[in-house]
Amino acid sequence: MNQIATPAVARRGFLTGALATGGGLMIGTAVPVSGRAATVTTKAVTTSAVNAFVVIGSDDSITILSSGAEMGQGVLSSMPQILAEELMVDWTRVKTAPAPSGAQYLNPVTHSQSTGGSNNMRSWFKPLLKIGAAAREMLVRAAATSWGVTVDKCTVANGVITNTAVTPNVSLSYGAVAAAAALLPVPQSPTLLSATTGYRLIGKPILRPDIPSKVNGSAIFGIDVRIPGMVYAAIKNAPLAGSTVKSVGAAPSGSQAVNLGDSVAVTGANTWAAFQNARSISVQWTPPAGTLLNTSAAIDTKLVSLIASGPAAVGEKVGDLAAAMAGAKQTVSMTYDLPYLAHACMEVLNATANVTATSCEVWAPTQGADLNLYTAMALTGLTADKITIHPTLLGGGLGRKFEQDFVAQAIKASQALGKPVHLTWSREEDFGHDLYRPVQKSKVTVGLDAGGNILGWNNRIAAPSVLQTHFPKYVVNGLDTAALAGATGLFYKMNARLVDYAMLNANVPVGFWRSVGESANVFVIESAIDEVAAAAGKDPLAYRQAMITDSCALAVLNAAATAAGWGTKPAAGHARGIAVYYGFGSYVAQVVEIAQATATTIKVVRVCCAIDCGQVVNPDTLIAQMQGGIVHGLSAAMWGQVTFANGAASVRNFNNYPLVRMPQMPKVDVQIVNTPGAPIGGAGEAGVPAVAPALANAYFALTGTRLRKLPLLLAPAPRYDD
Amino acid sequence: MATSTLTLNVNGTTRTVTVDPNTPLLWVLRDTLGLTGTKYGCGIEACGACTVLVDGGAEKSCDMSVTEAVGRKITTIEGLSPTSTHPVQVAWIAKQVPQCGYCQSGMILAVSELLKSNPKPTDAQIDSAINNLCVCGTYQRVREAIHFIAGN
Ligand code: FES
Ligand code: FES
Repeated sequence: MNQIATPAVARRGFLTGALATGGGLMIGTAVPVSGRAATVTTKAVTTSAVNAFVVIGSDDSITILSSGAEMGQGVLSSMPQILAEELMVDWTRVKTAPAPSGAQYLNPVTHSQSTGGSNNMRSWFKPLLKIGAAAREMLVRAAATSWGVTVDKCTVANGVITNTAVTPNVSLSYGAVAAAAALLPVPQSPTLLSATTGYRLIGKPILRPDIPSKVNGSAIFGIDVRIPGMVYAAIKNAPLAGSTVKSVGAAPSGSQAVNLGDSVAVTGANTWAAFQNARSISVQWTPPAGTLLNTSAAIDTKLVSLIASGPAAVGEKVGDLAAAMAGAKQTVSMTYDLPYLAHACMEVLNATANVTATSCEVWAPTQGADLNLYTAMALTGLTADKITIHPTLLGGGLGRKFEQDFVAQAIKASQALGKPVHLTWSREEDFGHDLYRPVQKSKVTVGLDAGGNILGWNNRIAAPSVLQTHFPKYVVNGLDTAALAGATGLFYKMNARLVDYAMLNANVPVGFWRSVGESANVFVIESAIDEVAAAAGKDPLAYRQAMITDSCALAVLNAAATAAGWGTKPAAGHARGIAVYYGFGSYVAQVVEIAQATATTIKVVRVCCAIDCGQVVNPDTLIAQMQGGIVHGLSAAMWGQVTFANGAASVRNFNNYPLVRMPQMPKVDVQIVNTPGAPIGGAGEAGVPAVAPALANAYFALTGTRLRKLPLLLAPAPRYDD
Repeated sequence: MATSTLTLNVNGTTRTVTVDPNTPLLWVLRDTLGLTGTKYGCGIEACGACTVLVDGGAEKSCDMSVTEAVGRKITTIEGLSPTSTHPVQVAWIAKQVPQCGYCQSGMILAVSELLKSNPKPTDAQIDSAINNLCVCGTYQRVREAIHFIAGN
């Protein structure tokens, strides 16, 4: 199995570094910008790194770096937007760029430069305000010093500092003082102007600066990186995960093959030729030893036994479940099934590496620039200062581009060939050698009193563990808390509850998938609550309203229901379903409206979504994330599944992995619900989990049939060919 | 591998390439000519990321050999407008359509062709004409941007 090659020592070292620098406030030191020196001169324009995030040119150009991986969620815009709030610059003049790997860019909460778990806004909001304010104060101080006045005589607006001590006032632009500002000490407690004036930029639907490059072909994704002297290469992964290369046959004429240990890289005159060569080369493999559990039917049998009985790690235990169940007037029990899923990023895995005896540079569409650095250190033996990771734009990440396999392969191939290598996975390799969203079974047993109140709640979850394969130290006594995400701490009134987890040890690689544990558990819980409501004879909305103990959850529930016209009779042949949850720091409710299309199929007509993520940075981006998350959730709920036969994935390309296309796109309506003063929540994953249960609940409302197994397969697969 | 020297007309310019004549146009554009705006998604005509205009019609370049492209006018995303101000590009920015952006070169070219033949398409006509895959799920904004251009 492909695992993250992160040396624990290096990791701890960086963690300390991040804390020492106050989570990014390491200002005034030379900071590499995309591998260039902090101060460079081009065409008589001098650029100065005022701090690790702010680069100002003598021509008044302003570049703000984002430490987040831009995979569509807009972080290349929204992180700089927060910083620009306090920097006091004109947003239309701001350029943004991805930050290279570096201790200054480690997330102050997670101490990592990885983007995942909808974490960037949540962790960086306050630090970025401070970093922007600190940079502004340095610029103002530099100007004040040049005028021989105190800073309180200076005002600042739109990147211009004005000296009010003289009449008429005189001004200096940021560009004129940036070089001097970069040499000043860093204010550790800068004043936040927004604390008194309110936000100027934050909360506004400003235009994303990365979008113009995405409409004219100039945006550079990892797959577009071209380095002088580089060779094109393609990958041949082992057909069976965990295998090693026994022998490599002759490379096709004009190509070179590199044995990477667990895979083979093969070069070609271009990417297509490399694909052909990788396909045709003959490789003998040594499969992993022992009996492998890697066929779907056998995995299913094992899951059935794991949820039925046997030991499990306790994730949440409140009260006396047995006593509560004994007192129940009615007990309902349901088993839910979720499949393995592929990531299917629009951009296939790829990476470009240039390794020499003394240096290593990597360009990759990566969600984990810091992890790439550790991978490069481990493989090359070079120290961090000799390595530069250049994160590029990502054509989707979805959790897959957090992994290190494709980056490690490019580095090893460059080492072996002694030249820069641009390595691309074919779509077939990408689907066939994913680290899949785990399969899962959940058995939920609920004891109710005569009024439909929940006396006892028991949820036994059986699933493979992503933590076990990626971060085993976080698995304590068999408990994978990530597998339980969204299944514990529920906001419904319930007396006794027990949520436990039985780990499935199968030989199918698993990984984090957009909306992680919630992608599975919210389907289970919000389906089960709907079933409980039906058992109690209650309307699904009214039951939730009565049982929810959290006012924010109630607010989004009501907002989505109102927008969807819940309570009014749907059109003939239509029905609605609802789901609500809390995850990634945000509350989300969705109402899915479906229409009977044929006797056996439905069409999703409309999705009304309400989100409360606390402080909104860019409402237009938030709406886009909900729209996209809903599409992602809908594709998975309808058709998403990968099955395995002796380790071989059933899916190899988009022709047998159906995804929503234009004709299947429902009308999506997004309400932003604001709780004043609420902490900032995530958005990238928040839109995904509620779709599947709301859809299954709508199907129950339409037909009276309860669907507990994903995918629902309620509509024909979208056509993929013209 | 036998190579041939072929002459192509790409974005109004004559380009000479020496490649295996079976190479798909996609990879000649990307790897030989450096026009990386055209994207690889599937290689089997199943996603539309590689869409280019061939004599004005939207075609998937992943399954068209470079030989088939000889003598025809190829337009890639880089050649749609010298100033990036084609109405579709303008609308895509106004409506903030792209998320990751990876599918959008193909999406934009496919939409530009649709609007040439049908300047005011209905939702049903959009659905039947545009089948490009967007894993980010920008479809609603694609529709809105098309209606914005059409003045609907
Ligand atoms: S790459 Fe050509 S259609 Fe997908
Ligand atoms: S914008 Fe990302 S795939 Fe379409």
